[in-house]
Amino acid sequence: MIDWGWLADHVPALLYRTGQHLYLAAIAVAVGLAISLALGVLAARHRRLVLPFTFVADLVYTIPSIALFAALVVVVGLSVLTAEVPLVLYTLVILFRNVVAGFDAVPPDVRDAADAMSYSGTARLVRVELPLAVPLIAAGVRVAAVSTIGLVTISALLGDAFGGLGFFIFEGARRGFATEIYAGAIPTILLALAADRLFVRVQAWLTPWERRAQAEVVPG
Amino acid sequence: MPDSRAATVEFDHVTKRYDRAPEAEGAPGAVEDLSLAVPAGRICVLVGPSGCGKTTSLRMVNRLIDPTRGRVLIDGVDVASRDLVELRRGIGYVIQQVGLFPHQTIGENVATVPRLLGWPAGRRRERAEELLTLVGLDPAAYRDRYPAELSGGERQRIGVARALAADPPILLMDEPFGAVDPIVRERLQNELLRLQETLAKTILFVTHDIDEAIKMGDLVAVMATGGHLLQYGPPAEILARPASPFVAQFVGTDRGLKRLSLARVAELPLRPAITARPGDPAGPARERILADPFPYLLLVDDLDRPIGWLDQRTLPAEGALTAASAIPMSPLFDRRTTLKDALSMLLGADVQAGVLVDRDRRTRGIVTAGMVADWFRANAGGELAATVGAMDRSAAAAVRA
Repeated sequence: MIDWGWLADHVPALLYRTGQHLYLAAIAVAVGLAISLALGVLAARHRRLVLPFTFVADLVYTIPSIALFAALVVVVGLSVLTAEVPLVLYTLVILFRNVVAGFDAVPPDVRDAADAMSYSGTARLVRVELPLAVPLIAAGVRVAAVSTIGLVTISALLGDAFGGLGFFIFEGARRGFATEIYAGAIPTILLALAADRLFVRVQAWLTPWERRAQAEVVPG
Repeated sequence: MPDSRAATVEFDHVTKRYDRAPEAEGAPGAVEDLSLAVPAGRICVLVGPSGCGKTTSLRMVNRLIDPTRGRVLIDGVDVASRDLVELRRGIGYVIQQVGLFPHQTIGENVATVPRLLGWPAGRRRERAEELLTLVGLDPAAYRDRYPAELSGGERQRIGVARALAADPPILLMDEPFGAVDPIVRERLQNELLRLQETLAKTILFVTHDIDEAIKMGDLVAVMATGGHLLQYGPPAEILARPASPFVAQFVGTDRGLKRLSLARVAELPLRPAITARPGDPAGPARERILADPFPYLLLVDDLDRPIGWLDQRTLPAEGALTAASAIPMSPLFDRRTTLKDALSMLLGADVQAGVLVDRDRRTRGIVTAGMVADWFRANAGGELAATVGAMDRSAAAAVRA
C-alpha cells in the first residue's frame, strides 16, 4: 500500500519541504504576533478601537483561503508575499483577540497599584501588563501556530515553489498516488502536534508564577 | 527618624462631581466641599457608608483622581502643582485587594518603588529584607515566593511593606484589612499601630467600619452619602458628642459599649497568670492554683508561650502535668487589642479568659471578662450606670408600691 521505495528516494525532498513548511508558518505567526501586539496595545489604550479591529479580523477570516491566495496572485504577483499575506491575515483573528483578552485579564487593582507607585504608561505596559497578558497571548500563539501549519499546505496552489509539505499532498492527489499524499499529510499533522507541545512548554517557561500558583491549590 | 519626615495633608474646599448619576455599589462617590486638615504623624480615618466619597477623597491625595474644585495640600503645597511621579513616590498606597504584582516575587514586589527610584540591586534586596522583618515575615522564607502562594493576611502585610519601601511621609490605606477574617484583621490592626509608634507617618485610612475607625484613628472624619463631612474630631469626642442625628445613628445606639473600642488591653491592671509547664509535678502546681481566685492553671511551653488551660478541679494531686488534658487556647491579646474586641472574643471562648502576649507570643498576663466589666464601670459606664441605676430605682419603687 505504501511505496517505501518512493519514500526512500525522496528523503531530501521531504526534508526540504518540511523546512519550507516551518519557514512559511514561522514567518506568518511571527509577523501576525507583531501586528497583533501593536494593534492590541493601541486597542488597550483606546477601547473603542477593539470592536472595529475585531470586526475586520473576523471578516478576513470568512474569506475562503483558496480565494484569497488566488486573488493575491492577481494583485501582488507570485512571491513569498503572496503566500504570507493570507497566512498572516488568518493568524490575526486569533492573535488579536487573545492579545486584547490578555490585557483585559490584568486585574484592575494591579493597574491601580502600579499607577499609585508612579509607573509611567509605557513602564506599566512593559513591566506589568504585558507579563500578565502572556498566558493568554501564548495560548493564542499556540492555536495560531497549529492552524497556520495546516493552512501552509494550501499555499501549494500557488505553484511548486510554495506549499511546504502541501506540495506532496497536491501532487499526490493529481497523480492519484496515495503514498505521496501520506508523505505530505502525516508530517504536517506531526508538525502541528509538535508546535502545540512546544508552545505549552514556552508558556510555562515564561510564566513561572502561574505554575507555582497551581501547585499551591493541590490539596495536601 | 520619628515624625521629622511626616507631612501634613489638607483638603481645602475640595469638590468632586461625576457627570453620570451615582450608581450602585463600587462606583466612586462624589465629594462636596470637603475641608479637613490632618496633622503630621497622625492617623486620620475617613469613615462612612459606601458611596460617601471617602475613597474618592483618598485618591485625590495621590492624584489617581483630580478634584473638580478646590485643592489638596501636602505640607502646604497644592498636589496639582507637583510632578506626578515625584508626588506618588512620596505617598505609600495600600488597598483592600492589595494589588501585588502576581508575576513578581515578594522581594521584587516590596522593592518596586526603590527599583523605580533606581536603587542598586544590593540596596534593594537589603531594604526588602528589612521591610519583611518589619511586618513580621521571615525574609528567607518569603522573599522568593509569589503572591499566589501567600494567605490573605500575609499578602496584606506585603502590601504594607511595599507601601513603606521608600519611607514615604504619607500612607494612604483604603480598607486595607477589609478582605481578611476578623481575627487576622484584629492582628493586622495591632501591627499597624505598633509600626506607627515608631514610624509616625501621616496616615489617611478609609473604612466603613465604625469600630475600626474608633480603634485606629487619632482623628475620625464621619462622611455621609453625597460626600458631605458631618463631623471631624478625636474618636472619644465623636462618641461622646455626635454632631448630628446621622452621626449618632451611624455610630450606633450602643455608644457606651463602643467606648470599649477606645480603650486597650494595656489600660487594664496587669494580672499575672498562674503558669506551669508540661512535665512539672502536679502537686505544687495544684497548690498554687487553688490559692488563686481564677480557677484555671495556664500551661505554657519552654518559651512561656501559652498551650492551654487546666481546670483546678480536675488537676491530679500527684504525678506530672500533661498537655493532653488541657482545654485548647482561648483568645490571645496584644496590648493594643481594644476592650471591645477582647470582650467579644472572650464571650465566645470556653474559658472566659484571654492571654496577653507580647510580639513573640510569650505570656504576659491574663484578661478576664470580669476585668473588662470592672474597667467599664470605673471609666466609660457613666451613662450606662445612670440608666441601670434609674431602672433599679424604679424597680425598687415598684416593689415598695
